[in-house]
Amino acid sequence: MRAAILSALVAVMLAFTVRVDAHHSFAAFNMQGEKTVSGTVKQFDWTNPHTWIWVNVPDGQGGVETWAIEGMSPNFLGRRGWSKSTLKPGDKVSVVIRPMRDGSKGGMFVRATMADGKVLVQTGEPTEP
Amino acid sequence: MHDMRIRGVAAVTAMAIASLWSASAAAQAPAATAPTTASKGPAAKAPTAADWAALAKLPDFTGVWELSFGGGRGGGRGAARGAGAIPQGPQLTAAATAKRKELQGVPREDNQTANCLPPGMPGIMGQPYPMEFLLTPGLVTIVIEAYTQVRHIYTDGRPLPADPDQKFHGTSIGHWEGDTLVAETVGFSPLTEIAANVPHGDKMRIVERFSLTDPDTMSIETTVTDPDVLTAPYTSMRTLKRHRSWAIAEYICEENNRNFVDQSGKAGINLNQAGTPAK
Repeated sequence: MRAAILSALVAVMLAFTVRVDAHHSFAAFNMQGEKTVSGTVKQFDWTNPHTWIWVNVPDGQGGVETWAIEGMSPNFLGRRGWSKSTLKPGDKVSVVIRPMRDGSKGGMFVRATMADGKVLVQTGEPTEP
Repeated sequence: MHDMRIRGVAAVTAMAIASLWSASAAAQAPAATAPTTASKGPAAKAPTAADWAALAKLPDFTGVWELSFGGGRGGGRGAARGAGAIPQGPQLTAAATAKRKELQGVPREDNQTANCLPPGMPGIMGQPYPMEFLLTPGLVTIVIEAYTQVRHIYTDGRPLPADPDQKFHGTSIGHWEGDTLVAETVGFSPLTEIAANVPHGDKMRIVERFSLTDPDTMSIETTVTDPDVLTAPYTSMRTLKRHRSWAIAEYICEENNRNFVDQSGKAGINLNQAGTPAK
């Protein structure tokens, strides 16, 4: 019984995994890892096959380093309440990511928290009928 | 990635030359000459008012549809992936089992979809993006948002080609059995797969049965047969929901694709911001 529930759960998770990304695998990301990138939005690419959030993060020495965060496509997000102006240059944002395996400054979007406390996610069912 | 781009430019250039050539050839050809290419039109005669009126008697497939959650995604490259993804459905011949083992021994971190190559059939029908069905006399057209793909299912009575070209979506003909559209498809590119690590043979054939199970729910039963690879027909079910308010959106994969997979199967991401379109 437990095995049946577990396999049903795995099936749902697999279905979900396929749903959120059919374009490429997760091989480049550490899917067990989690990192929070806090800074200022430099640019938001509302492009296919993926959106990209470029975040300037203070480097502690008076400068910034830019992090690149991959998100779902505008097609997918546009049906879930996002638009090209959901994130604007200058917005303060804190983004939880699955970091790149190779340690470079990038990762896959998990969720973001805006300055006003609003939390952005990229999953779920479409908001339009 | 760079190599892909160069090849892409070469392909576009070749297509441009080809279209120029065919335009001038068409201009010179006598009007009555039948087309000599494989892409014959849906009917030799122009559709009549009766042909258009007959469409109203068919089930209403028109509009934008998307796989519903748990609606049977999967099947084909671009759907199940990774060395660990073992297809549950297909029953394989000894040769195909050995081939799958061999392919799993050289794990691919990703598929060619990462380089923007579309998955082809049957995987293209399992994408997490909508598709639009259009019915015109003698033809069902499926506009697929993912990778901006189109399928044509000819329902004008033409036969399947005896020696089909190998194409990502094959060549499809269809007929109506009551309210069910039955499409048969043959002739697939070797770049498509039945499932992860299960390449198809030359004789793969796909039969799809499209029907409405309620006014806004479509069921697609897909049966793959392939005597070189499968010991039994491989049947899967998908469920789609109609979204009356949706429109198909643009999906140009090459617009800002930073993902790639190299020849050895290693995946990577280009994080160089130079030249990034913000749009």
